[in-house]
Amino acid sequence: MAIIELAKVSKVYRVGETETRALDRVSLSFEAGEFTALVGPSGSGKTTLLQMVGCLDLPDSGEIWMEGQNVVALSANRRADLRRAVIGFIFQFFALVPVLDAYENVELPLLLSGVGASERRARTLAMLEAVALTDRMHHRPDQLSGGQQQRVAIARALVKRPLVVLADEPTANLDTANGEQAMEIMRRLNEQTGTAFIFATHDPRVMGFARRTVQMVDGRVSAQEAVASGRVLA
Amino acid sequence: MRWAWRIAYRDLTRNRRRTLFTLLAVALGLALLIVLNGYIAGILEDSLQNSIRLQTRHVQVRADSYAADRRSLQWKDLVNQPAAVVAQAQTMAAVWAAAPVLWSGALLSTRAESVNLQLHGIEVASPIYDPIRSAVVEGAFLTADDRGGLLLGRRLAESLGVHVGDSVRLTLVDANGVPVEALFVVRGLFASGVLVYDEATVFLPLAKAQSLTTVGDRASAVLIQLHRQEDADSVSAALAGPRLQTLTWRELNAFFLQSMGAAMGFYLLFDGIVMLIVAVIIANTLLMAVFERTREIGILASLGMKRGQILCMLLLEATLLALMGSALGVLLGLAGVALLTQNGFVMGEMAAAAGNLPLSNVVYARFVPDTFAWLTVWTLIVAVAASLYPAWFAARLEPVKALHAS
Repeated sequence: MAIIELAKVSKVYRVGETETRALDRVSLSFEAGEFTALVGPSGSGKTTLLQMVGCLDLPDSGEIWMEGQNVVALSANRRADLRRAVIGFIFQFFALVPVLDAYENVELPLLLSGVGASERRARTLAMLEAVALTDRMHHRPDQLSGGQQQRVAIARALVKRPLVVLADEPTANLDTANGEQAMEIMRRLNEQTGTAFIFATHDPRVMGFARRTVQMVDGRVSAQEAVASGRVLA
Repeated sequence: MRWAWRIAYRDLTRNRRRTLFTLLAVALGLALLIVLNGYIAGILEDSLQNSIRLQTRHVQVRADSYAADRRSLQWKDLVNQPAAVVAQAQTMAAVWAAAPVLWSGALLSTRAESVNLQLHGIEVASPIYDPIRSAVVEGAFLTADDRGGLLLGRRLAESLGVHVGDSVRLTLVDANGVPVEALFVVRGLFASGVLVYDEATVFLPLAKAQSLTTVGDRASAVLIQLHRQEDADSVSAALAGPRLQTLTWRELNAFFLQSMGAAMGFYLLFDGIVMLIVAVIIANTLLMAVFERTREIGILASLGMKRGQILCMLLLEATLLALMGSALGVLLGLAGVALLTQNGFVMGEMAAAAGNLPLSNVVYARFVPDTFAWLTVWTLIVAVAASLYPAWFAARLEPVKALHAS
């Protein structure tokens, strides 16, 4: 069943006189529980596509359907509701709130969603355990390594049990071992929770984890390929 | 909203030096306002009480045609049989003392120079003149039967080079419009603590002043000192009679009170300017914080935080800053006022230069809780209002642009 559908989505960025067509009539759908890599060179439109799907930005034309609603027609506050309820984000730059410790960072989406204290604590601790950070939960981001910070970000993205997690170059700032660990965790949580993962990458080693790849070039989908099962890094 | 308080509080600890300086700016601004307003309240109360104590007293009974600015000695403008008014006043429980007084303009001359001043013919035995009696610093106070002595302010005596025992000449125009002059011996010098008063006042016994001015037993007014100044209206009403006007300390100091009201307008403007400076500092701090945290605001937006919640979070940060700064400011301000209520502020020559303002040589600040509370509340309101723009700016950031801010 498709959880997200894009229909002829286009986006043009203008800087002075220069126009850059970041997305060009992209039509695409994503199923529940899938583990998909958007691949392609820099400037191919991967990040823009994630921003559109994540309701962080709006296309110039086209429709994006999620939860039975065309998000393009929603107000800023309704799109914020959608982000809070069904979308998790993992960014390349870890993106933790620096004044909160690991536990509080993971807990924050639940606070914003109004989840009760006891359930909030149970789910936060469970997620921290799932990313093997229970012993570091009272450390602030500047006291954690890059790999640990990204694991906190993964836990934060998943703690609210979203429909989909959007990960933009999640391993780009990690060394090989930490990158592999982060991908292993994401794949395991995808299998355990059924949450769909869509991650943008141009790292061929990371693409190996995907069960589906969507190839993008110049703002268009050039090819799609289903992989029987994700393989481990070479 | 607990999460918003938590983030707001911790954000304040992020750049501690900047937070400290902003907090100090709020605190010092408010402390300055509290000290200044306490000091101004002290000046107002000091001047008013000096005016009542030395000049107007709480109630005056005058002839209804008497105009204080002309100091007329014509019989029709004077109180006939002032002793009867004094006797009536002294039957009232609210009255502490009552005494007749005769006022006249006079020219005091020495061999070297002359000076215009106000002559007070006083009933020297009356306790109403205790403040002057106790202010004698050289020589002695007058006696009722003294026919050739007068009392001068020390400051005036010093400027004229006159000492106790010296002779001076008084010239005035009597009730019939005839110039008269007489020699007097300086019996004593007083220093009331109000320099403008000490520079322009001479005292004679009432009987001598009455005979010199040929007014018989008439008086310019009957002065009434009360136990509590709140009773002025009722005493004034009770003493009203035909051909008499009764005036309370409020009416007698109306010009002074109006002038002070106008002066307060200036201080309100000053209060406003200080608050505006505090507002600019808060707005600047918060705007800097927003610029520094643009990407973080994008992250919070990506987590589903709404614009209203981002706005609220930053307003809370400003509120915390304003609350802490104001608390410190109130403490510093009250400490400053306490110091000035104990030690006072020596006015010196400034008091003499204050024109008709009967300022003491040393002015003490006053605690005016209503004013201090008003200043604190307004500082808080102004500080939070100043943070509206930075908070609104942050809330309006597009999530995708905020996330890609460098």
